Amino acid sequence: MIEAAVISNGLQGVHAYFISNHRVRYHFLEVDEHFNPDLAPYELLVVPNGCDHIAMAKIKDSVKHFLDAGKSLFCMDGWFTDWVPGNQWVMDNSKKSIDVRYTLCTDRHNLFNDINIDSFIFSHGISGWWSCGYIIPAPHADVILKDTWNRAIIVLDETTTNGVMFLTASAPLGDTAGQATDDRNSMKDLVKLYQQLLDLIIGKSLQKR
Amino acid sequence: MNKIGLIFNGVWSHYTFATAPKYEHIIKLIYIHDFNKESLEGLDAIMIPFQSHQPALAKRKKLIYDFLNQGKKVFVEGDSSMDWIDGTWEDRPVDNYWWVNSPNNPPISETDFSHPVYAGLTPRQSCWHTHGSYTSMPSDARAIQRKPNGEIITWETNQYGGTLLATTLDPIVEHGVQQITYLDNYVDKLITWLNGEVPQGSFEVPRNKYGINVQHDSL
Repeated sequence: MIEAAVISNGLQGVHAYFISNHRVRYHFLEVDEHFNPDLAPYELLVVPNGCDHIAMAKIKDSVKHFLDAGKSLFCMDGWFTDWVPGNQWVMDNSKKSIDVRYTLCTDRHNLFNDINIDSFIFSHGISGWWSCGYIIPAPHADVILKDTWNRAIIVLDETTTNGVMFLTASAPLGDTAGQATDDRNSMKDLVKLYQQLLDLIIGKSLQKR
Repeated sequence: MNKIGLIFNGVWSHYTFATAPKYEHIIKLIYIHDFNKESLEGLDAIMIPFQSHQPALAKRKKLIYDFLNQGKKVFVEGDSSMDWIDGTWEDRPVDNYWWVNSPNNPPISETDFSHPVYAGLTPRQSCWHTHGSYTSMPSDARAIQRKPNGEIITWETNQYGGTLLATTLDPIVEHGVQQITYLDNYVDKLITWLNGEVPQGSFEVPRNKYGINVQHDSL
């Protein structure tokens, strides 16, 4: 089992996306006026959709230190501040969501094994439901998924720090698909990707131990 | 100048909305964890967007209701918590399919188009999607929009002194997201209703709003 910290921005329903189980125990760290958490007890830091990127910018150095200790970060969508080492998310409305299509690129850990990429493109047959800007990746990071315009949508970065960063331009992503979609294929494959990602991180943690 | 406060909890779409050239001279960003009585000085209204920090709002409930009691306006969108609002919000799946399945029939059954925010809007401009429903509202509130199943999308009340308008629509967040391109219609009406100023020009977010190096004190 690994210990994971989830940054909570006080949103209704965020707890529903991350469910503790025999593989991972989640600890919700709620942002408040004194936010400066000790990340040392955790092996994984999860920064979900709708997070407070002002608060994250304030603890930017702690996150870097956490990653340099060989630990892992999942960040989904919306980091408009520059706290994620080497990688920047950007929103852009110049492309139409109807034209969004994704292509698998470098997936050296087979995170998309047995996953239909269409689940991330279409919900009830409508494209672009899981699209929200793109990532400017660090120079040696893996672009796992790119979009129609060759922009990075999912990035795995194992080189910028000593740790692992798994970054998505869009969201949600977690143990459940929550209320974000009721398309069964999208729900199933979102959850599957997250579980396969956890497999990777848990495997790395076990190796370190 | 900057007569509307936007209670902001570090969510990107709140930031892009409030700092866009179209609105930056109208809206004052108030970081929720710095929100105090002084933050509200000189303001006509406040906006509380979808994806707000509900426990932090509950801690500052008195500030919000004291502001209302001065006859001011408060707009609340998306989710909310009974810890600070006298209505019951419940989550529901988001319907983004009507644009394809039935493009002239947004997921809404009735709208009071006599309300100043809704006057002159088309049905499409008055509802793009909702995040949940209100299954109850304050005792003296009146429903302005409902879903086909009767659940409440938008309500308004004057029972706290000023005007509290709450909706499960998300015009602030979705405008900040920039994927629905006709939200100027709703947002401009909303801002005009909140403080009388009619926003001008088109909504655009400059590229330099991303990757910013935040010095917290400079917000």
